[in-house]
Amino acid sequence: MAAGDPKWQKDASDQNFDYMFKLLIIGNSSVGKTSFLFRYADDSFTSAFVSTVGIDFKVKTVFRHDKRVKLQIWDTAGQERYRTITTAYYRGAMGFILMYDITNEESFNSVQDWVTQIKTYSWDNAQVILVGNKCDMEDERVISFERGKQLADQLGVEFFETSAKENVNVKNVFERLVDIICDKMSESLDSDPTLVAGGPKGQRLTDQPQGPPNANCNC
Amino acid sequence: MMTAEEELAEKRILLERANAEREAIFKRYDRGRKNIDIDAWDDPAFEIYTQADRYGFLHPEKEQSFRDDLEAARRKQIEVERTKKWLKMMKNWSSAETKERLQRRVMKGIPDRLRAAIWKLFLNLDQALKENVGVYEKMLKFARQYSPDIRQIDFDVNRQFRNHINYRERYSVKQQSLFRVLAAYSMYNMEVGYCQGMSTVAGVLLMYFDEEDTFWALNALLSNERYAMHGLYVEGFPKLMRFLQHHDKILTKCMPKVKKHLDKHGVDSVLYSLKWFFVIFIERIPFSLCLRVWDIYMLYGERVLTAMAYTILKIHKVKLLRMKDMDQITEFLQTILYKNFGYDDDTVIKTLQLAMFELKKLNLDKLPAAPASEFPKVAFGQFIEPSLEAKIGHRNEKFTERETELKETVLYRSESKNDGDDEDVDENGRPVGQNGHHRNENGGHDDDEDDRTERDCDDITEEDDAYSNLNTEYDDGSITKHSLTGTSVTSTNDVSITSYERTCDIFRLQPNSGGSSAAILGSGAKLDDSVSIISLQTLDGVCDLHGSAEHSIVQGVSGGSAEKVAPGIIGDDDEDDDDDITEKQLSS
Repeated sequence: MAAGDPKWQKDASDQNFDYMFKLLIIGNSSVGKTSFLFRYADDSFTSAFVSTVGIDFKVKTVFRHDKRVKLQIWDTAGQERYRTITTAYYRGAMGFILMYDITNEESFNSVQDWVTQIKTYSWDNAQVILVGNKCDMEDERVISFERGKQLADQLGVEFFETSAKENVNVKNVFERLVDIICDKMSESLDSDPTLVAGGPKGQRLTDQPQGPPNANCNC
Repeated sequence: MMTAEEELAEKRILLERANAEREAIFKRYDRGRKNIDIDAWDDPAFEIYTQADRYGFLHPEKEQSFRDDLEAARRKQIEVERTKKWLKMMKNWSSAETKERLQRRVMKGIPDRLRAAIWKLFLNLDQALKENVGVYEKMLKFARQYSPDIRQIDFDVNRQFRNHINYRERYSVKQQSLFRVLAAYSMYNMEVGYCQGMSTVAGVLLMYFDEEDTFWALNALLSNERYAMHGLYVEGFPKLMRFLQHHDKILTKCMPKVKKHLDKHGVDSVLYSLKWFFVIFIERIPFSLCLRVWDIYMLYGERVLTAMAYTILKIHKVKLLRMKDMDQITEFLQTILYKNFGYDDDTVIKTLQLAMFELKKLNLDKLPAAPASEFPKVAFGQFIEPSLEAKIGHRNEKFTERETELKETVLYRSESKNDGDDEDVDENGRPVGQNGHHRNENGGHDDDEDDRTERDCDDITEEDDAYSNLNTEYDDGSITKHSLTGTSVTSTNDVSITSYERTCDIFRLQPNSGGSSAAILGSGAKLDDSVSIISLQTLDGVCDLHGSAEHSIVQGVSGGSAEKVAPGIIGDDDEDDDDDITEKQLSS
């Protein structure tokens, strides 16, 4: 199988995964979306950050359950005016990292609005994780862990506090999101195999892959 | 559920908080560096930077080679000579002669030390200042009391050009100025207020102008019809849609293969070109090149953006066609080209000029007419108190009609890709020069664009009629025919155009990977200002080559010779621009 052959890894990058998940990081401006993504994808943090104008993305391939999962992670501009552009990219996303800044009340108050955006513009089965970023800035904290957790429970989503700067929980968030998506895929398969958008038709993530491995769930 | 009274009470609290927050932000900018609570990490670590370039951007230390030094010295000397010419031209600013020369000279780049003065003239800032005494201060006061955009501006000022020596420190003098300009403008043009991207544009302007000039320069870019960026930033981004559609049209017509390739891989132009249009290529192409594009943009306006967007894809066509997926293509256009464009600035600008001709000839140089929605509806400087919702920073759940329209368009664009047949388009990116006819799948267009470009160039050099078509000059937004009748055009000059195009082909094969290489310097021989006298620099010294020898240089380069060819500066100090004829061919 081509994708299992290490020599393919460098050349045919588009062949080099078993599954592809499209993820989006959303949330108010300046909550740290881009820094979070850079920390995860490049393991770097710089205070020479820039604001995202429009939409960017990065790619990272991870191993989950012996499968190569290519994550295509979209980073979005947070200003309200740009929602028109960014929500157009919600379609086909399998997971969302909804981020607020624990030192910024307004960003927390907007979470509900972002959830509405997800519900309106994305696929029903899209998975969401709520993330309170900048947890290294304890002195300036205005949103307690409990408030974050409570909101996440209300919304029925998982919750993490993170720091892109100190590298706290960044990897965990992505790994957890990938796991939830995988679980959801298997579940949907059990109930209705045709529903699956995330992998080769009729194949479960826990199965041995058959046929062409470059299943692309970017539906 | 809350009662209406409770809701109102809560909003009042939020409003008070928003007011306090706005005032606190203003105070921090008032204090500037005297703020005692600046987080250490808010100032990007200085030690990682060791070198500031001539524009003030900081880079990790890089060893300068002897050749780099030579090149820098050469450029400096050219700039000194050019500065003299520009100064002379400025004394006679409104003369017809200046107007004509300006169009040629702006293509070579405005000398950096005169940029502020020349941009000021292009943007007609003196008049704006004269007619609006006291307005800036007044807007600044309004902003302090009412602007709903202060938080967003504060976020963005903190993130703008943190790798620049003057913006690096939190609340530095430049950050203070940028904050104030944007705050004041958010009240002056209330329909736009503040839109992300404006901090970048104003940030560059502030590298050249003082605060108040920057304010009026920003206003000129938004409201002057030559640039009309108002329509880009206003809610629903109507002008962005127009740019994208026009860009797609150009690609379909002039580079169908590239268009198909991008579509096949799901790369919609909104992904890579939004920032090109919103911030005029800042942080998408190297800064020095970007300034050159800005120079031309200031003179000619929005058609330069369209032509430059086309140029970027055209000049990197072969490379793009070789890329196999969305990630690679997007990273290339969004990140890699900013770090290293692969071609020297002069080459790119010459290609841009040719693109401007080409689009003009195809009647694609101008965007289709703007709908009324793109223009300001409210007079500038007229104060309208923002709504309570806006003041407390409440996000609207629902999209407005205009926003919905934009969203649907973007969605349609991104989803209509990827549904073509899976025919392999030139997977290996055939080397230029070897491309035979390619199977044409795109109904309306007969030829592969490579063939067409080459044919056009042949026309230019071989047919007089076609040649005179070239001499169409852009003039303040309208295009006038500039006749070369009476100008003697020698065959040597014909050769230089042909050579230019061929050299371009060679470049496509040998993109420069950072340092100086035979390819870029070769381009200098063809493309820089003094084509009629060219100096061939060798380690031993400099020997002059005259026009007729050009051909052999090009052949030398195309034959893979690594001789370093550089244009001399000798021609540049000549008052009468003995490089004019070549320039007219290439630039008019």
